[in-house]
Amino acid sequence: MRTIIRGILNNVFTAVAGTSVVCLCMVLVAVLGPMIWRGGSAVFFKGTVEFRKMQLALFGRGNEAKIEAEQKRPEDARRFVYDAIEKFKGGIDTEALSDKARQIYRQFGSELRQTDMPGEEVAELRSITRDIRKRLEIAFASQNRDEINKALTYVNSFRDDSRFKNSSAEGLFQLAEEYATAIQGINLAERNEYRKELAEVEQILTRLLGPAPATPTPALMMDRFGATRWDQAQKLLNRLVWHEQWAQQEPNEPMVKMRTPRSQRFAGTELEGLFDIIEQQLPEMLAPKLTFYWRYFIDDSTPGHYFGGVGPEILGTLLLTVLAMLFVVPFGVISAAYLVECASDNLAVRTIRMCINTLAGVPSIVFGMFGLAFFVLFFLPIFGVPSKGCILAASLTLAVLTLPVMIRASEEAIRAVPQTYKEASLALGASGFRTFVTVTLPAALPGILTGVILSLSRVAGETAPVLFTGAVALGPMPKSIFDPTRTLSYGSYDMAVGDRLAAMVPHNQFGMVVTLVGLILCLNTLAIILRFRVSKKLAGQ
Amino acid sequence: MGQGSVNDALMPAAESHRPLALTPTEDIRGFLAFHLGRTFLFVITCTSVLAVFLIFLFVIKEAFPFLTEFSIVEFLTSAEWYPESENPRYGVLALLTGSAYVTIVALVFSVPVGVLAAVFLSDIVGLRIRSVVKPIVEILAAIPSVAYGFFAVMVLAPWMQTKLGFSTGTNALNASLVLAVMALPTIISVSEDSLSAVGRELREASYGLGATRFETIFKVLIPAAHSGIIAAVVLGMMRAIGETMVVWMASGNATQIPSPWWDLSQSVRTMTATIAGDMGETEKGSPHYRALFAVGMLLLIMTFCLNLVSEYFLTRAKRAGGKS
Repeated sequence: MRTIIRGILNNVFTAVAGTSVVCLCMVLVAVLGPMIWRGGSAVFFKGTVEFRKMQLALFGRGNEAKIEAEQKRPEDARRFVYDAIEKFKGGIDTEALSDKARQIYRQFGSELRQTDMPGEEVAELRSITRDIRKRLEIAFASQNRDEINKALTYVNSFRDDSRFKNSSAEGLFQLAEEYATAIQGINLAERNEYRKELAEVEQILTRLLGPAPATPTPALMMDRFGATRWDQAQKLLNRLVWHEQWAQQEPNEPMVKMRTPRSQRFAGTELEGLFDIIEQQLPEMLAPKLTFYWRYFIDDSTPGHYFGGVGPEILGTLLLTVLAMLFVVPFGVISAAYLVECASDNLAVRTIRMCINTLAGVPSIVFGMFGLAFFVLFFLPIFGVPSKGCILAASLTLAVLTLPVMIRASEEAIRAVPQTYKEASLALGASGFRTFVTVTLPAALPGILTGVILSLSRVAGETAPVLFTGAVALGPMPKSIFDPTRTLSYGSYDMAVGDRLAAMVPHNQFGMVVTLVGLILCLNTLAIILRFRVSKKLAGQ
Repeated sequence: MGQGSVNDALMPAAESHRPLALTPTEDIRGFLAFHLGRTFLFVITCTSVLAVFLIFLFVIKEAFPFLTEFSIVEFLTSAEWYPESENPRYGVLALLTGSAYVTIVALVFSVPVGVLAAVFLSDIVGLRIRSVVKPIVEILAAIPSVAYGFFAVMVLAPWMQTKLGFSTGTNALNASLVLAVMALPTIISVSEDSLSAVGRELREASYGLGATRFETIFKVLIPAAHSGIIAAVVLGMMRAIGETMVVWMASGNATQIPSPWWDLSQSVRTMTATIAGDMGETEKGSPHYRALFAVGMLLLIMTFCLNLVSEYFLTRAKRAGGKS
């Protein structure tokens, strides 16, 4: 009996331990999966015609004539949407109509001044048109159909007056006529609702299709183009077709999201059918095409990473890491050489070892504080460098941070060189120094290189030490090592929590972080391969 | 042997004419070169000592005016951290508990999983599976902390909010879970090393007495390797306490002691996150800036002590491994 229980326990234990490893693999998939999947879409996606337009305008890429020709069809398809909205607006946007009426009135007044009509007639015409204008304004503002009809009839009674023929005053009659047709399908009492709704629709349409034709070019780059990506367009379409609202359904319950088709909200009007048509015609309007945007990795970006890529971030990260490595590798290798070859077990060496371990245990944010207090505020100003964060300060901080990693890796590599190598060299009469330089170091070099690559990958991902010493979220390309720079790591942080604009472009958020992770994993893979080859070589001989 | 004699190999013709003994100049030169070289190497090696010294010096230097101006007792025992208010309060207790909170919860998750995985790798599976799992652990260790933080904010937090119904996705549980994942590689690799260091003899003796694998592991291996496993846990703890980006992004950054204390769905704020979040906005030399350095000093002292503890256990583990 006890044997059975023991057996069961044994198997249960094996299963539990196995589960923990399975957990590990699942965690890895859960962390990397969404990142790679969604980050990959920053590079590989269905780009719309807006994307190609943006590339042309921002980076001067692509054939201008070809893109213009390509734009023709989408523009034709879109025209219908704009026309329908313009027409609908005729009955809704009363303020604009009143403005228009006033403008025509003013124009007519100046026309009158230039004619050679007698004074009284001019005065009469002016008073009539003023009257017409006032009636029109009443008609525009009113919600009562009778009142509107009365006003419009009054306006139309002047229509055949020959004195208005061929003058700008005819615009007023046309306005009245258009208004009369426009309001036929509209519930006047809900005109304000319509206006609000229409403003929302127009806003989404601007995001989807870009600014409407014949509007001035927006100042912000991000407003100049519509949805550059098909997935973005789909999301916007969803927002366009469905109206979403948070509503309190029952008291004391959390708010619920209510979705109603937007066509329902425009029921009975001319816009009711528009949304279905947009849904069907969207591919026509945007012309999506599979795009491999490899220049993502070299392109600069507009503020908030709305358009463009991560070029400056990659450059900044490489600059920081390579500079840090330049500082740390000599120190790391020499320290390791001393610790392996010369050091005996005395107090000084024990202190050094303890310090290396302490250094390895210092939290990265404390390195950041140290970098700020020492390099930025104390050390660099001695040499006349202005005391602000810069690449040099950040890379020095990173160099201190990675020193223990480097020393340990080189120590391991030097220790791995077989004793026979050294003995053979010493037996030939070479001195200890010469043996180290000509025999041990070359044999240990691949191992040291592995250490360098691993430190490089560690440094590339560090964020906390560069927070106050030289990383910025936005800024120009650094001109020298005395300028701050953007980095992938700080950029990832900033895009995830700091930047509101970035929340609108999740593919770029994920793209940034996946670039960082990809860079680091590539470096690590390289290190693993190198280490494997070294261990095979050293074991084989 | 001096350095100069090496050149002789290049001049075989002159060799026979040279006396075997070195001339005094050669001897002195060789002696000087050897010892100067050694001293030079030693000085370079002392860079790490210098770095540690400078870190302590500069962090304490910046924190010192704060420590003399404000009461240290209040700093350590007050839970009110209002550095920017009219009447600024610098109580670090809430931040300390925040750090302790996420660290302990992270360890609760990661120690069992980590130790079990280490046992699994060292004693249960063969070389083939191990060579698959090891790179996975290495990749987990290589992923930068900001990427974990990104995952916590962009994937885990929305999931917690919608699926688990938490009022906020960025909370203590979120940060702890991600910290647990980050501490795992350290715990696994250090405890696996110490488990492997326990020799074959102990295992074979145990199996020879008729013990099952479960009994061997729990009654022989883990007691034998306990120093290394404790060191692994302490190292994992250090990683969790010192971690900045994940807690800054995922813990919600609300300066409070959760009440009731077991409510993991509340936001907390840790020491590291406070430093990272506030440092950019303070004026250099202001009391707030100094207070942040005091927090950093506290952090430094804590990790230093933990480091000593881990060293102690690691040396014990090494000695035990060497004996058996």
